[in-house]
Amino acid sequence: MKKVLCLFAILLVLSPLFAGGAQEAEKEDEFKVGFVFTGPIGDNGWTQQHNAGRLAIENELGVATLYKESVPNTQESAKVMRDMIAQGAKMIFATSFGYMDYMLEVAAENPDVAFFHCGGYKNSENAVNYLGKMYQARYLSGIVAGLKTETNKLGYIAAFEIPEVVRGINAFTLGALSVNPEATVEVTWTHNWNDPPNEKEASFALIDNGCDVIAQHQTAPANLQAAEARGVWGVGYHADMNDSAPEACLTSPYWNWDPFYVAVTQEVMDGTWDANNYWGGMEDDVIRLAELGKNAPAEAAAIVEEVAASLVDGSFEVFAGPLYDNQGNMILADGESMDDFAKLGMGFLVEGVIGNIEN
Amino acid sequence: MDLNWFVCFLGAAVVAGTPLVLATLGELITEKSGSLNLGVEGMMYMGAIIGFTTGLQTGSPFFAFIGAALAGILGAMIFGFVTITLRANQIVTGLTLTMFGTGFAGFIGTPIIGERAPQKIIDTFVKVKLPLLGDIPVIGEIFFNQDYLVYLTYILIILVGFYLYKSRYGLNGTIVGENPKAADSLGISVIGYRYLHLAMGGALCGLAGGYLSLIYVPSWQDSMIAGRGWIAVALVIFSKWNPYRAYIGALFFGGLNIVGFRLQQFDLPVSTYLLDALPYLMTVIVLVFDSMRSKSRSHAPAGLGTPYFREER
Amino acid sequence: MARIVPLENCSMAKKVRIRVFAILMAFTLSGFLLLFLGHNPFEVYASMLDGGLGSSYRVKETLIRTIPFALTALGIGLSFRMKFWNIGGEGQIMMGACSATFIGLNFQQLPSFILLPLMAIAGMIGGGLWALIPAFLKVRYRTNETILTLMLNYVALKWITYLQYVLWRDHEAFGYPKIPNLVKNAQLPKIFGLHIGVLLVPILVIGIYLFITYTKKGYEIRVIGENEATARYAGMPTSKIILGTLFVSGGICGVVGMIQVAGVNMTLSIDVSNGVGYTAIIIAWLAQLNAIAILVVSFLFAVMVEGGSYIQTVFQIPQAAASLLQGLILFFVLGSEFFIKYRVIRDRKTRIVTEGEV
Repeated sequence: MKKVLCLFAILLVLSPLFAGGAQEAEKEDEFKVGFVFTGPIGDNGWTQQHNAGRLAIENELGVATLYKESVPNTQESAKVMRDMIAQGAKMIFATSFGYMDYMLEVAAENPDVAFFHCGGYKNSENAVNYLGKMYQARYLSGIVAGLKTETNKLGYIAAFEIPEVVRGINAFTLGALSVNPEATVEVTWTHNWNDPPNEKEASFALIDNGCDVIAQHQTAPANLQAAEARGVWGVGYHADMNDSAPEACLTSPYWNWDPFYVAVTQEVMDGTWDANNYWGGMEDDVIRLAELGKNAPAEAAAIVEEVAASLVDGSFEVFAGPLYDNQGNMILADGESMDDFAKLGMGFLVEGVIGNIEN
Repeated sequence: MDLNWFVCFLGAAVVAGTPLVLATLGELITEKSGSLNLGVEGMMYMGAIIGFTTGLQTGSPFFAFIGAALAGILGAMIFGFVTITLRANQIVTGLTLTMFGTGFAGFIGTPIIGERAPQKIIDTFVKVKLPLLGDIPVIGEIFFNQDYLVYLTYILIILVGFYLYKSRYGLNGTIVGENPKAADSLGISVIGYRYLHLAMGGALCGLAGGYLSLIYVPSWQDSMIAGRGWIAVALVIFSKWNPYRAYIGALFFGGLNIVGFRLQQFDLPVSTYLLDALPYLMTVIVLVFDSMRSKSRSHAPAGLGTPYFREER
Repeated sequence: MARIVPLENCSMAKKVRIRVFAILMAFTLSGFLLLFLGHNPFEVYASMLDGGLGSSYRVKETLIRTIPFALTALGIGLSFRMKFWNIGGEGQIMMGACSATFIGLNFQQLPSFILLPLMAIAGMIGGGLWALIPAFLKVRYRTNETILTLMLNYVALKWITYLQYVLWRDHEAFGYPKIPNLVKNAQLPKIFGLHIGVLLVPILVIGIYLFITYTKKGYEIRVIGENEATARYAGMPTSKIILGTLFVSGGICGVVGMIQVAGVNMTLSIDVSNGVGYTAIIIAWLAQLNAIAILVVSFLFAVMVEGGSYIQTVFQIPQAAASLLQGLILFFVLGSEFFIKYRVIRDRKTRIVTEGEV
């Protein structure tokens, strides 16, 4: 017991000695941007892509940035944001859904700081949400997969039944069906964002069931490695994952946050930021489809290019009527389209998907 | 659910069980001599990263796995120095080793995130069907159509069993774990055997990590081990400190851990979230039934977790 | 030849010297790591302390973090005293949080002074029952409690995941996996800028200290820890005592869950415990299960964790390096205990020879 007290006393005695140095570190007053990350930068996926955007801000604008990795979705995140603001951050990017309420709390305390939350639905005067229309690129990747499959069974390993994931599965399915009406998409839920060995096993389960193209909404390229080990194909996600499995990888829909991050940072610095939500797509270059892999079907490139062009110019919408869910209910009648609100909260799987959402 | 489904599933379970059984064997040997090293997760991380980087540097499967084993030994030696030589508490030191090893791997691994294991290593460890044994129907497909490290694991299980039960050294180590005082009076070096067993255990845990990073996943990711080290600690108890039962336990757990993905295809009237809890619930149930049946004495080495100092009065 | 002998009565001054030396060694070694990362180690250490204690806000945050550490360590410390290796603090926190949230969400029209105690009781029962499962199985069938409590942690985590993603998902959250926030009534009030759960810490520290040291039950717990057979021989109802103690042990962890939900996060999520149950094991051991020492060690740990988190934001030190650093510091502190408990004596013969050579 005494020894612990001792230790404590030592630390207390030493603290003023250190405190002098600490104030120096905090005096800087330049414009900084803070990033709250949900995983490690090295997750090879979601956080890595956001971090690439952070580096773009540093390189293109010469603005200093702060970040912290693996911040839990609790009050902890609010503390991290406050720390960053104390370090001089004038903008905060919070890159996980679970940070939303805590961000709003900190935003109310700091009206002069701009807050950006990735993928939520609550706003305030200085706090907005942003996301990318990943479903566009998912649709294109579905075209490639639909052309490639020989068994007409596509597989999809997905982490959780949340709208962002569901949208991706639906778009992928619609893309595949657009070129291959026979195709089905079988979904396996892993209930884990990042556990590569288990993702690989989930992929094997689908391959053993006859699927020959495996897409994913996870973090690691485990589905591609599983596909390569079994001599079938896969679709990556997050980044261009071609190097992880060059034989198996047909293509990857991926995030390219650079243009949004750089532009919005510039706006905040210039004082022209309008505090609006942002939902950019391929038209803004926030979402991309990676170059097709060497084993992608030859005819795919031309079709993908054509559909991509119509997505960019707005002449084509992924979610348009007639649209049925996989229980046989009509979601959209012929000629109807879906508003952003309905898309953001999407909670059904389209016809052609084998799997269900628990409610 | 036909025969083919079961063969595919069990074949996958063998692979899923391999890193678990390696780590379980490692912890089992360690505990046999009386050290409770809760740093399995940390040693696996150290083995995974060092094995992977060695593989990247040398391109050699052999050196990669030697590197993984050495890294595991390094972790075990830190643990040994702090708990045996400096006599610190084993539980806290083990937990600290887990913290240290996880940080160690993350730190060294940052620049090579997402990098793929060298093609030569991937090619070396493709599935190879063994002659004769591989031709046995069903069994051959499940157990003898695997990669070389799975086969090496079979050999290691037998070696560990032989070492512990049949060799003089293994028996000495067991005596050290059961009753260090008696061992000491028999002239068996308590400190020596505890270090030796720690080193062997560390090597096996390192190999387990290497299996995950070099063969199972084959690329570097931060969350490579994802709690498998803790499962190994549990499996040692589950196995009643018997290497053969350890294999059954690892297969059982490895299989339950992945069966949920395969059961989802059948649209069962059970929440898939509850299927996720299956391996843990089943472990509890099996354990309880086992203890109900035998109401047995504890199988743990009697000296487990307690340090031994000759000089103390 | 050198011999190691136990050291009686290590003087206070010497203890201080040894600990300072150990910590300095750890800092020196990790200093090289920081240099390698391109930072000035002194600046980093300074801001680590600054992050833990540098302002009233930071002290407050450190104290808020101390609360779950100290309470959980006290809770599982009770079962450790009986050599019942309860490593299920994590699961007990989650189940306590779960049952407290259930009350908080379903009876939100109740006034605070009724609702909050109800939630605390629910938390206690949730955590307590979760700890009773392994306790019962251990007492009845001698099933190994370490593996049971570890497995039950995972079961609890999967259960909370199920609640967050399916059963209790907020239907107003556009399909996002979020359990609704607790209403104002169900949130802990503040005192001195901290949530009121802080009051539990001194109450439990003193309570448990007195309970273990002076009461009959406390004595019985200690006897069971020394030797269960002796206790049974002496006529103690050992099974009953183990069950009762485990209920309290898990119950305290359950209350921690309630506090984290109602005092800190205002909602239940899978991150509610976030490793506290495991950290508390280290804390309980470092404090050698002494209630007052637990409080001190928890505070130091909170300083280290808060400081460690702070330097990540300030210096962009990767999280992995921070846990490497914490591991190193702990290794040195653990190792240094040796020089407090023992001293190394070289046999005279050897010494003469060496002197002769010099």
